[in-house]
Amino acid sequence: MNGSKRNYIDHLAGWLNWSRFIFALTLTFFLTSILFPFYWMLASSFKSFAEIGERHPVYVPHALRWDAYGELFNPADPRFQDFGRNIINSLKVAVPTALIAVILAIFGAYAIARLHFKGKNLLLNSILIVYLFPGVLLIIPLFAMLAQIGAKVGFEVQDNLEVLILTYLAQTLPVALYMLTNYFRTIPDEIEQAGLIDGCSRFEVIWRITLPLAIPALVTVGIYTFMIAWNEFLYALVFLNSPNMFTMPIKINTIYNAPSPHPNVVMAASTIMTIPVVLLFLGMERFLEEGLTAGGVKG
Amino acid sequence: MQAAETRLAWFLISPTAIIVFGLVLFPAIFSIWVSFHRVGLNNLNDVFHAPFVGLANYYKVFNDFAFKFQGMRSWGAAVTSIVYSFVATIITMIVGLIAALLLNRPFRGRGLSRATFLFPYVAPVVSVAFVWRWLLDPRPSGVLNDVLMRLNLIHLPIAYLATRGLALVLVIIFEAWRYFPFAMLMILARLQAIDSTLYEAADVDGANTWAKFWNITLPELHYVLGAIFLLRLMWTFNKFDDIFLLTGGGFGTNVLPVLTYQFSFRLFDFGRGAATAMILFLILVTFMAFYVFFVMRNVEEE
Repeated sequence: MNGSKRNYIDHLAGWLNWSRFIFALTLTFFLTSILFPFYWMLASSFKSFAEIGERHPVYVPHALRWDAYGELFNPADPRFQDFGRNIINSLKVAVPTALIAVILAIFGAYAIARLHFKGKNLLLNSILIVYLFPGVLLIIPLFAMLAQIGAKVGFEVQDNLEVLILTYLAQTLPVALYMLTNYFRTIPDEIEQAGLIDGCSRFEVIWRITLPLAIPALVTVGIYTFMIAWNEFLYALVFLNSPNMFTMPIKINTIYNAPSPHPNVVMAASTIMTIPVVLLFLGMERFLEEGLTAGGVKG
Repeated sequence: MQAAETRLAWFLISPTAIIVFGLVLFPAIFSIWVSFHRVGLNNLNDVFHAPFVGLANYYKVFNDFAFKFQGMRSWGAAVTSIVYSFVATIITMIVGLIAALLLNRPFRGRGLSRATFLFPYVAPVVSVAFVWRWLLDPRPSGVLNDVLMRLNLIHLPIAYLATRGLALVLVIIFEAWRYFPFAMLMILARLQAIDSTLYEAADVDGANTWAKFWNITLPELHYVLGAIFLLRLMWTFNKFDDIFLLTGGGFGTNVLPVLTYQFSFRLFDFGRGAATAMILFLILVTFMAFYVFFVMRNVEEE
């Protein structure tokens, strides 16, 4: 009797450790396979071209070498890439996209969440369906269409960052609208009704009551749309032609595909492009996770 | 009053609606038109006068070696696309499920692990794709080659992304690595909403972990798994960047989005590109119909 009970406890303890072992193993596997590529990006960016070319990979750089960053930023470097300009181009595209998307989505989401009008659900659903259209399907007609309009109105389609912003808005507005609509619906209507009864106009109600309550959602949507524009590749690849207009992804692609590629420079540029989004993300993690699942950000 | 409200609503929503419909819905419809005309670089600026060619673009696509299935050695973009999307989606979901189950139990460092797990998903695709290419470098100095050679598993370096079959497998693994966090977050949110009394009751009945997982957790996740499956399937099917950056569509990894790009912007045959996009779109619509029918219908109308 006593023996069998002891056996049972031993067995249980063994099983618990076994399950804990599996758990630790799986977690370690996940963490290494996620973090190693990022470590490798960072580590490679601090290697010299000679270290990159060694027979075996150098797992721990001997010293922090800034050669790769020199190529990117130092005008005196023989392989100077003028990457600073590409960073500015990316910012010039991503910041306006985020700001405009947030502002337009506030209006649209408010209308859908608060006002009653016919065809509301149809409208929201069609915008969401349209969001599932593939980028490659749209790029050809978009290009042809904008070329036509451009020729009439007088703007260039290629190498025009404003055109790029417009196409990014079309990509980000549906999700921004959806996320904000969901958020506005969680703010009780009574608060606004009270404001209206107190004699505030509709816009005063939005400005003084609803928006301050929605700041977390606005920040989330802003960061998301910023990240989408910051990371976007296909449209930038098609719409941008001259290197001084390139956003970072296109520039990195060009450096990678150069006749004599320098992987350390590619990794340095990638590091620079990755750090802001990862930092933004970590700083705002709480808000963002909710948004990720609520909006189902396209990826 | 009612009319004023309707007017205000349309006024507020119109900028979004105009941009989204003007730059997405209209081009999508216009794409149908382009696919029936001969549009190249020379007449791109005068596209409305492009000559009508009937189904010629579609014939060209269907007879293209990059598109059509020619046996197991050469799948063609259509079959590759479908296989790639389904397999990548399923693996992404399994990895996401495992990750969610890991993070669902309390342990020290859970918050940090959770944040770390999201890195692949938020990092720019260009950066991570190029790191992967660099890790899979065909020279002996590539990390994977070095590791496998040190372990004596291989004796000669392998050109991973330039080997038919292997390239497709790696592209799928890359997809799973990059997109599992989406599945993980959705599953985790659902897991945390499961009524804990269900598990307590199962404990009383003496159910083991596996039985609890099989009889409680999975049925509770059933709906969210379906939604993730369809969403990821559609997004993976549409995906251009990942394969374009990893293999450029070579070595048995050419999928419809990449083929569309190649026809349009390598050969500058926009008509043929649009025809490819339309074929892609028709397959996508089938997936979408499932999505609307099974998922959106269940999303509660207010």
